[in-house]
Amino acid sequence: MKDRGYMSGNSNEERLEEILATCIGELLAELSPEARRVVAEHQSPALQESLAAFGGFGSTDFRGSLTLLGSVSLFSQLHPLPSSVTPRDLADWACELVNQMVGRYRNRLLAYNVNLALGVPQSALAQNMRLSSSLRQRRNPICFAIHGAVLEIWLELNIRPDFNLADNPENSKGTALREGSVVFF
Amino acid sequence: MGSKTILIVDDSLTVRQQVSMILKIAGYNTTEACNGREGVEVMNSGASIAMVICDVNMPITNGLEFLETIKGAASAPPVPVVMLTTDGSPELIARAKRAGAKGWIVKPFQSDLLLSAVRRIAGDPGT
Repeated sequence: MKDRGYMSGNSNEERLEEILATCIGELLAELSPEARRVVAEHQSPALQESLAAFGGFGSTDFRGSLTLLGSVSLFSQLHPLPSSVTPRDLADWACELVNQMVGRYRNRLLAYNVNLALGVPQSALAQNMRLSSSLRQRRNPICFAIHGAVLEIWLELNIRPDFNLADNPENSKGTALREGSVVFF
Repeated sequence: MGSKTILIVDDSLTVRQQVSMILKIAGYNTTEACNGREGVEVMNSGASIAMVICDVNMPITNGLEFLETIKGAASAPPVPVVMLTTDGSPELIARAKRAGAKGWIVKPFQSDLLLSAVRRIAGDPGT
């Protein structure tokens, strides 16, 4: 792994991936100040005891999924109540992390007039798990180093051919409420 | 004893534990449901609920369906509901407001703001 130095491209898929990476970076920074984005130079070794969580999403323009993969100890360190977590707690927490990552992604994409619907995340505990992309054979996952371990985030997108993501977010009535906001009616 | 009870409806055990811990430390009682259908069952059980904190994206019955169900029940007492969700969509917020929600909090939440919202809407734990 090396520090952030990746190239971001201009295709819809690359831009959508960078927006997601920004959302994930924001969330992880709130959970662990030392979280930093890194580039996976080679495929990570299979983790002996790992946890994967995945959630699907879709809009009229594209559909996709986000999958998290990390060690059990990494998810434990990110847990908001770390003192007494069980494997069941961690599996649930991994799902909630996916929910919050994809939720933030949906909120950001609203400003681009993309309205995502989210599925309910699922998770799995496993031994010696390794992921690979089914749609993008040569792309690497988004990776964040936290407490000496790496959290892999795999994004799969299936985009309608005639879709074009707007160049800039619009500050229109479609702008979502920010995370942490409280409003009363 | 005598404390107000807050119903937490969320499919995430972690979120239910987090919210419950914050409220219990502040002196509230809590009870939990892991989807909207279970939440409706709690509301129909006769339990004395001072306020509901409810997620939106849940399996079986989602939070907005839960809200619309309990607010549509003619015999239901007016229990205030605050939505706690990752979703910041103006369209969904407007739908919740129309259905009678009292507030909307976007996850991840800050403990002090959540507690302030509960105090504002449900009042102090023992009053």
